[in-house]
Amino acid sequence: MIEAQEIETKLLDFLKREVFAAEVVVTPETDLVASGFDSMSLVRLLLFIETDYGFWIPESEITGDALQNVRALANTIARLLNAR
Amino acid sequence: MNLTELLDKTASNWPKKVALIEGDAVISYAELVEKVNILALQLRAFHLSSGCRVGLCLPNSISYVTLTFALWRINAVVVPIPTECTEEEFSNITVTMRLEAIIGQKPRGQSTLLSADCFYTKLISATPTDNHGINIAFIRFTSGTTSARKGVVLSHETIRDRVTASNISLRIVPDDTVMWCLPMSHHFLVTIVLYLSAGATIVLARHVLARPFLEAVNEWQGTVLYAAPFHFALLARDNSEIKIPSVRLAVATTCSLPQDVAENFHQRFGLRLTPALGVIELGLVCVNDDPAARADSVGRPQPDYAVRIRNPDRDGFGEVVFSGPGFFDAYDNPWTPREQLMPDGWFATGDIGRVNAQGYLFLAGRKVAVINLAGRKVFPEEIESVLNRHPAVRESRVYGVAHPHLGETVEAEIVLNQPDAGLDSVRAFCREHLASYKIPTRFTIVNALPRTPVTGKIRRAAAVA
Repeated sequence: MIEAQEIETKLLDFLKREVFAAEVVVTPETDLVASGFDSMSLVRLLLFIETDYGFWIPESEITGDALQNVRALANTIARLLNAR
Repeated sequence: MNLTELLDKTASNWPKKVALIEGDAVISYAELVEKVNILALQLRAFHLSSGCRVGLCLPNSISYVTLTFALWRINAVVVPIPTECTEEEFSNITVTMRLEAIIGQKPRGQSTLLSADCFYTKLISATPTDNHGINIAFIRFTSGTTSARKGVVLSHETIRDRVTASNISLRIVPDDTVMWCLPMSHHFLVTIVLYLSAGATIVLARHVLARPFLEAVNEWQGTVLYAAPFHFALLARDNSEIKIPSVRLAVATTCSLPQDVAENFHQRFGLRLTPALGVIELGLVCVNDDPAARADSVGRPQPDYAVRIRNPDRDGFGEVVFSGPGFFDAYDNPWTPREQLMPDGWFATGDIGRVNAQGYLFLAGRKVAVINLAGRKVFPEEIESVLNRHPAVRESRVYGVAHPHLGETVEAEIVLNQPDAGLDSVRAFCREHLASYKIPTRFTIVNALPRTPVTGKIRRAAAVA
């Protein structure tokens, strides 16, 4: 069982380190799209998840709800991982 | 001629027609021209020299469009700077392209506020430029190796010719509404300029997630989609019941279209994707607009263009070369005119491909080492040059790895100076010097890199399947 909290920490670390500019403040509740998260950011994020968790998030799961913020995204990944 | 004449003509034919929609802002062609004229007046006050180069670093917006046309109005050359650039990449473009000024969201030193969302900065250190008598409108900077950094130079006449040639197949008309989601800093000429010269309406989509995008298509009755296969893959997998019956044309460009994406999109929406091949030096040369043709072909050349395969092997695969109107005028840095690069009138794109009996072009790889990550070009040498500057890295090799959803991904092999050095600092170093999408997804630490037997150079890897 993988905890969503653990995924959340990893995602935040990745987004701060490799996607967002240094001056952008990212918390688990930050609205990703409003903070400049674009389609290349999405590509980077999906690749990070694939490399670190070993699966490609199905396109049908890449919804506005799942990508609302890091917390929602971590919950989606935890649900998909734990259903495997 | 000047490209603003195309916009003026549209505004005079259809002044009240909606030109651009961005969120709640809806502006007509007459309003667009007025905004361009006011901005041009503001820019004139800065006394820029005629033919000077101005960097434009803005996200997709109505301002992006108005500023581009305003710069053209005062005979300045537009050099797009992608917003994702790091400071180092930004400064490389500024110096290599010899920019006289920059317009962007950030104030830089002595900047002047130009409008609510952008600043004008005059660069004092700019060296004078020689445009070699060419009426330059636009220069696209490409990175590559340090020695291969160059600009693709396009004149007003060239852009007009390629816009005209591209619309023979696309048939964009004033009744069209184009749903726009690609970055304008990478795509502007045979897209935005074409749509505006044809009198179409452009809707700037807020983001590319399937549901809000499909809702926006229906809200504005979009008729044309122009996006990368990655975007169409997202749309094809949307699990709502939303249909988009108003769309007549969905062009998939920037990288080859995976067959499953083409099939899934067709199943989900009852609409066939139209693969197309665009090359910055040439324009939109091929469009596969025949629904009966195989979707893995980029199509036949548009009527004004011709394609040949140079030095084909037994199976017909060889170097893809094109001839046609509106090809680039020159490379800058160093200045190399088109005639010198293609004395026989044919330009080699660097692609390997074959043409079947019906004249359809099938691409099968590239001669030069460039990685195509979801439509964005990544040059291995550029990333290696950053990696090799890290104190813990002795040498590196960057290559593309085939990926079922993205075309290719970027990976790196590195030889470390210090065996116990961690990869975290290498990743952080990459982020400091490279746009996010260029950072390798996976690093492999190796003891040595493969070298070619004669020259001892690091052997460039072909894409790994």
